[in-house]
Amino acid sequence: MKRSKKDSPAPSFGPAHPTTDVAAASPIAHDLAGLLTHEDVDRARDRWRVSRARWAERRSKILGRFSVLWLLVGPGVLVFLGENDAPSMLSYSATGARFGIGFFIPFVVLTFAMGLVVQEMTVRLGAVTHRGHAELIFDRFGQFWGFFAMGDLVIGNFLTLVTEFIGIRAGLGFFGVRPIVAVGVGLAVVFAAITTGRYWTWERITMGLAIFNALFVPAAILAHPNWAAVGRSLLTWSPLPHGNSFDILLLILADIGATVTPWMIFFQQSAVVDKGMQPRDIGAGRFDTALGALLAATFGVAAILATVPLFHHGIDASQFEAAQFAEALEPWIGHIGATLFALGIFEAGIVAAIAISTSSAYAFGEVFQTGHSLNRPLREAWPFYSTLLGSACAAAALVLIPHALLEFIVLIVNVIAVLAMPPALAFLLLLVNDREVMGDQVNGFWENTAAIAVTVALICAGLGFGVATVIHMS
Amino acid sequence: MKAEHVKSSNAEMGIGEKAFESTAGQAEKLDLKHPDAVLSLLEADQVVAAKQRMHFGRRKLSVGVRMLLWGLRIYVVAMLVIVLISAFRAIHSAP
Repeated sequence: MKRSKKDSPAPSFGPAHPTTDVAAASPIAHDLAGLLTHEDVDRARDRWRVSRARWAERRSKILGRFSVLWLLVGPGVLVFLGENDAPSMLSYSATGARFGIGFFIPFVVLTFAMGLVVQEMTVRLGAVTHRGHAELIFDRFGQFWGFFAMGDLVIGNFLTLVTEFIGIRAGLGFFGVRPIVAVGVGLAVVFAAITTGRYWTWERITMGLAIFNALFVPAAILAHPNWAAVGRSLLTWSPLPHGNSFDILLLILADIGATVTPWMIFFQQSAVVDKGMQPRDIGAGRFDTALGALLAATFGVAAILATVPLFHHGIDASQFEAAQFAEALEPWIGHIGATLFALGIFEAGIVAAIAISTSSAYAFGEVFQTGHSLNRPLREAWPFYSTLLGSACAAAALVLIPHALLEFIVLIVNVIAVLAMPPALAFLLLLVNDREVMGDQVNGFWENTAAIAVTVALICAGLGFGVATVIHMS
Repeated sequence: MKAEHVKSSNAEMGIGEKAFESTAGQAEKLDLKHPDAVLSLLEADQVVAAKQRMHFGRRKLSVGVRMLLWGLRIYVVAMLVIVLISAFRAIHSAP
C-alpha cells in the first residue's frame, strides 16, 4: 500500500495549524457536519463526559477533580505499565539476582524519571495537534525520514512483541501450561480487547489487566528485603556493582531499554489522540504520565527486590528465563511468592503485547492514511485491526517454532531499544519545538534542557556499550 | 493562525472554552445523532474529515538538522552491527 493522498478526493480545507477552536465555531463547520464518522461520535461522547465532570468540579471540588482525572488517565499509565513488560521484568530480576540491593535501585528510578521527561512531550504533541507521531513525522519531515523512523519502530516493535510471547509462554509454563495453549491465551486476550470497537472500553480493559503488574509488590515483600538497605541505596547509590564491566554495562543498557523505548512515544501520542484529549487536558495528561511512571518504577524496584534472595544465596541467574526465576525463588519466597512472580511475568507479557501491537497498528494507519482508531468498528478499519492482530500472530507463531533464535532476540531487544531511541528523540524534540505545530505549547528552556540531557545520556550509554564491545571482542 | 486569533474567534462566537464547557456539562443528555452536538464537543482539527484534509506542510530542514539526522542514522546502523556481532558471539560461546 502506498502512502498517498489520492484516497481523499474531497478538497483540502487548507493547511493545518495549532488551534483550540471548537469545531462548531469553525469556518468549515458546515462541511464537517456532513462528513462525521462513527469515530467522531464516540470521541464526542468521551468529551461530553469530561465536560460534565468539569462542570461537576465546580460544585464539588474533590469529587469533580477525581472524576476528571479518572476520565483522563489512561495513556500514561498504560504506556509505563506496558513498558514494564516481560523482558523488562526479566532485566530487573536479573539485576536483583546479580547485584542485590544497591546502585541499580536508584538507577531504575532515574530511568523512569527519564521516561517521564520524554513521555510528557508526547502528551502535549498529541493534545495540541490531534495527530499521531508517525503522521507528524511524515507531514513535517517527508517520506524519506518518515520511513527511516518507521523502520526503527517496526523492527523494534516486532522483536519486542516476540519477547512478550516468550514471557507469556514462560509465565504460564510455571503452571504446566503447554506453550501452544499459553500463546493462544495471549492472542485471545489481544483479540478480545479490540473487539469492543471503542477506545474507552479497550483502555479500561487493558488498564484492568495492567494493574496486575502490582503482583511483584507482594512477591518482593515475601522476599523480606532489608528496607534500611533499600533506603540507604536510594540515598547513596551504593554499593556500586562489582564484576565484569561489560556485563554491568549490558545490564545498565537493558535497564534503560526497559524504560525508554521508541514504541512508547508512538503509542502514547496516538492514544492521547484516540482518547480525544485537548490542550486543556494537558495537566491531567501530565498527572496520568507521572502516575504511570511512579507505579511502574515501584513495580520495577519490586521485581529487583523479589530476586535479591538469589543474590544472597550466590545462585547464578545469568542464564535464567522467567519461569526459572520463579522456580529458583520458591525456596525463599514460598510457593505463593513464586506463583505471584510467574503470574506477574505472564501479565507483563499480555499487557505489553496489547500495547505494542496497538502501537504498530496506529503507526501503520497514520502512515498509510487509513482509519486508525479503536473507536472504529472492525469492518470499517480492517487494515488497522489486521496490522494489530497480524503483528501479534506473527510474533506468537515465531515463539512456537522449534529452535528459533529466541535467546538471541531476548538478548538484543532492550539494547536495540536504547540504540534506536536517540533518533526517535531527535524527531520528538524537533516537533515539540516547532511553533507551527505546537503554537504556545512548544518546549520551554527547562523542558529542552531535560530532554537534551536524556538524549545525550542515551547516546553516551550506547557509545559506551559500543566501545566496551569492541574492547571485549579484541 | 496565532493563538490570540483563536481566542478571539471563540469569544466572537460566544463559545469560549469555559462557556462552552458549562453548556455541555449542564446537559443531562446529549443527542449525538445531531452533527451540531458532535461538532460542539470536538475541536476543529479533531474531526477525522478535517484531519484527513488538513496537513502540516513539510518544514525546511536546515543543514544542522540534516547533519543531526544523518549522524544519528549512521550511529544507529553502526551500533546495530556491533550489537548483532556481540550477540552472535555470546550465543556461540555459551556452553
